[in-house]
Amino acid sequence: MGRQYLKVNSIGELLENLGKPGAMILCGGTDLVVKMRSGLLSPELLLDISDLPELREIKKNGSKIEIGTAVTQSELLASEIVRERLPLLITVLSQLGCVQIRNRGTLGGNLVNASPAADSAIPLLLYDAEVILTGSQGERRLAVKDFFRGPGKNALSNGEFLRAVSIPLPNPKLYPFFHKIGRRKALTIAIASLGALLHVEGDLIQEVRLAAGSVAPTPIRLRRVEERANGKRVTASLIEEARKLAQQSVSPIADIRASADYRRTVIADLVAHLFEGVLHV
Amino acid sequence: MRIQFIVNGRQVERETNAETRLLDLLREDLHLTGTKEGCGEGECGACTVLLDGRAVNSCLVLAPQVDGKEVLTIEGLAPLSKSHPHHSTGRAKGDELHPIQRAFVEKGAVQCGFCTPGFIMSTYALLEENPSPNDEEILSALEGNLCRCTGYTKIIEAVRYAAKLMREER
Repeated sequence: MGRQYLKVNSIGELLENLGKPGAMILCGGTDLVVKMRSGLLSPELLLDISDLPELREIKKNGSKIEIGTAVTQSELLASEIVRERLPLLITVLSQLGCVQIRNRGTLGGNLVNASPAADSAIPLLLYDAEVILTGSQGERRLAVKDFFRGPGKNALSNGEFLRAVSIPLPNPKLYPFFHKIGRRKALTIAIASLGALLHVEGDLIQEVRLAAGSVAPTPIRLRRVEERANGKRVTASLIEEARKLAQQSVSPIADIRASADYRRTVIADLVAHLFEGVLHV
Repeated sequence: MRIQFIVNGRQVERETNAETRLLDLLREDLHLTGTKEGCGEGECGACTVLLDGRAVNSCLVLAPQVDGKEVLTIEGLAPLSKSHPHHSTGRAKGDELHPIQRAFVEKGAVQCGFCTPGFIMSTYALLEENPSPNDEEILSALEGNLCRCTGYTKIIEAVRYAAKLMREER
């Protein structure tokens, strides 16, 4: 018997099959199909959720936006409410992959993958988003920061799946910033990336949130830099301190894309660059 | 498992399995070999086709996933734009070219030709949605397609020219 494929028609059917040995969820396939071909993953039963209507909705739920796990990156980019209220998500997704990848790739897939370089993790960390995990026992919510457990590892337990992401509507005064360092503009896996939400008045930082990718086992918030900078005026010494704190906050590895030292330096430079930008507005 | 889908305007039914990609289904089963396999991992765009009107890498779509959907390949461009939509093979007939294909030929945007079907399908997806793209929009629509010969300048010129041709024919 070769690999089996099942197009799932309901969440009930998904849960029924998810606990079976060798079962794995398939959606856009932009990562899974590559890993299956290279032999890295060999699921015995593919559960295709890409056409499941309940998982393909973007809806406003009080003061939150809930995005179904199977919503594609292109659909998010075209969504009016996402464009209006979550500009950082738009900025990041418009630089992810390429048209063909964004037409298939999903928000849920990018998160479940749990790559330290997952681009869409950055805005979700900054928005203090939650993931909604569904299993046969019911549903639980988890902060996105607690969902990532290490490279390729997430907090899903056996028989559980990521149903949706819930994002509290952010203060519209928070200005989005995202910079990804890579070898090529399209389709690049970040060497390092920095995202920020920034509210400044003149040179006074009312609020700053910072998150970095590819510089630790998971995408992370740079809390120490945030704490140092919040409520302060941007000065040369603040920028230098932020640079040092950023370096101390990360724990990069060396790999085929870059050395650990380079990553530590470049993430600190990006933080400094962000604050220097405030002075030049 | 048995799947039914529309390819280049024609309804087809095929036996397939979870090991087969849309790319294999097109090339091996349907003999639509205009769609090329480059990298096989979604980096190069040589296998680009339209799935329900959107550009996708056919190397990343599993064959069972297209059940009930509509696929357009490079072979379906010319006949679909002309007067014979119900031909039997899903393949282009005669010497008719789609304006995008004509533009690529006339502007010298083809060298070895391996990446060309992918570029043309990405261009088609772009121009269907945006008949008058600016250069930035053209570059962004083609960012998932790699060409190892041309240096892209001629390709961009061809897309601009194709947009003009298609506007004139509308």
